[in-house]
Amino acid sequence: MSLVNPTSRSKASSKPSARHAETARTYAHPLPIIFPEPTYTFLGLSLTRPLNPHCTALLDPITRSAWVANSGDATILWQRGFFGKGDLSRSEPSWLARQINARKMKGKGLTSEEITAKRRAERKQFKLDRAKAMAAAAAEAEVAFKEEGRVIAPGIAPDGTRIIPSAATWKPTSISVPSEESPPDTPDELQEEIEPIQDLEHLQLSLQEAFFLVWALDCLTVLHPETNEPLTLAEIWNAFQNAHTSSLAPQLALPPPRFDNPFLVSYIAYHHYRSLGWVVKSGVKFCVDYLLYKRGPVFQHAEFAIVVIPVYEDPQDQANSPFKLQNAEPFTWSWLSTINRVNSQVQKTLVLSYITIPAESRVPSKVLSSPACFAHYSVREVVLRRFIPARMRD
Amino acid sequence: MQNHPSAILGQVLAKYPASGGALFQVYNDLTLAQRWSDVQVLDLTACGRAAIKGKRPTTDTDQGPSTCVVVPCSLSESISTSWLRAAFTSLEPSGTEIYVAITTEDTSTVYYKISQGIVKPPV
Repeated sequence: MSLVNPTSRSKASSKPSARHAETARTYAHPLPIIFPEPTYTFLGLSLTRPLNPHCTALLDPITRSAWVANSGDATILWQRGFFGKGDLSRSEPSWLARQINARKMKGKGLTSEEITAKRRAERKQFKLDRAKAMAAAAAEAEVAFKEEGRVIAPGIAPDGTRIIPSAATWKPTSISVPSEESPPDTPDELQEEIEPIQDLEHLQLSLQEAFFLVWALDCLTVLHPETNEPLTLAEIWNAFQNAHTSSLAPQLALPPPRFDNPFLVSYIAYHHYRSLGWVVKSGVKFCVDYLLYKRGPVFQHAEFAIVVIPVYEDPQDQANSPFKLQNAEPFTWSWLSTINRVNSQVQKTLVLSYITIPAESRVPSKVLSSPACFAHYSVREVVLRRFIPARMRD
Repeated sequence: MQNHPSAILGQVLAKYPASGGALFQVYNDLTLAQRWSDVQVLDLTACGRAAIKGKRPTTDTDQGPSTCVVVPCSLSESISTSWLRAAFTSLEPSGTEIYVAITTEDTSTVYYKISQGIVKPPV
């Protein structure tokens, strides 16, 4: 590579700067609590109080999550820290916007789902065109061989140019989209637009996100689904640990004390990475437990994929356990290679996160009555990368 | 916000509470976000849960909407091939393929298409 040529712009700054500035402004705060610039200081301590949005959520035991119905709270929690996910959308709640868009049938301001759908439709069209071109070229070669006995390379025209489209050179042909040719507004359409659409979407917080907001940041109140009374921290602690029991109402009684409760194990991983500054989201689309984003999903794709592996300090506890924790048994090599391959293909680094579960014989189980028990667990990370000796020498 | 449980799912949620969350989430996703039509809820006793059958809208103008069956389950469950086989036998007359919808607590849903035997992918 020539040293004379200037280096190309990095991918991070290839976004147009106006949009970049706008997202930086919208998502400026990394947490729901804002610490304003100190206006008064006394002996070096700021006297201005942090701004706490005090959001509320409803506990839903059937889906094992907390629902934020108020759209103001939902926007705050999404924009300051990317907490939660719209239950009918890919990330932030955008269902109402999509329905209004669909009604107006205008292409302006597409939501992320619509952009993805458009890209997928174009890619599908490209694949069809390519398949057709390959079939035609092969048929032409067959005919040439049969009639004249000469062999022509399929896919290369007589003047040497490629006739099979490649991803770089293919352009979408203008497909007549029915919406663009719709007739001018009829009286029926005007009547429809007057009736507003009811927003049927809510922001859903997983139990780990909800507990982090309640306990670590103290900016969320969780309400009982039937009485709408705010739950105390002790009730939330019990209800979240009892969430794995399939019941239609939240179980507020103290659960039988077990260090390997699935909520505790997954919460420890979540809390560990959140408190280090990462934005932690669900990784089910890549066969892992969590994805770590440096700033947030709107900025860059996730760099790390976390697999949570619980390790029992005492094997007896595992034998007596009423829970069958995922990944507590040793991985097979084929399964580990599969997950690693899936994630390397999307340029994510696989991190195995070992959570050590303390032994019941060593630690008294009464520590489980409060979050102070977290001090007895530990988290260790192992980064996995595939090593190819033949190719990794350049 | 949806009321919980809804009139259509109320009976099934009471009958199979363990898979209730997954069923509720998949039902909402299919009817409201994916805009499926003619949605019905089927009772698969062999799998211990309910399934959803409906017409999936397609962007191809030459094909009409196709009928698909979706069986919801949650990420914390473990399923086996005998479970899948039971699902296929329950849908015997028309069942050549089913979609397994795996749900998580933060409402991400991933759909996997399961066919009987080896099927060549289109295109």
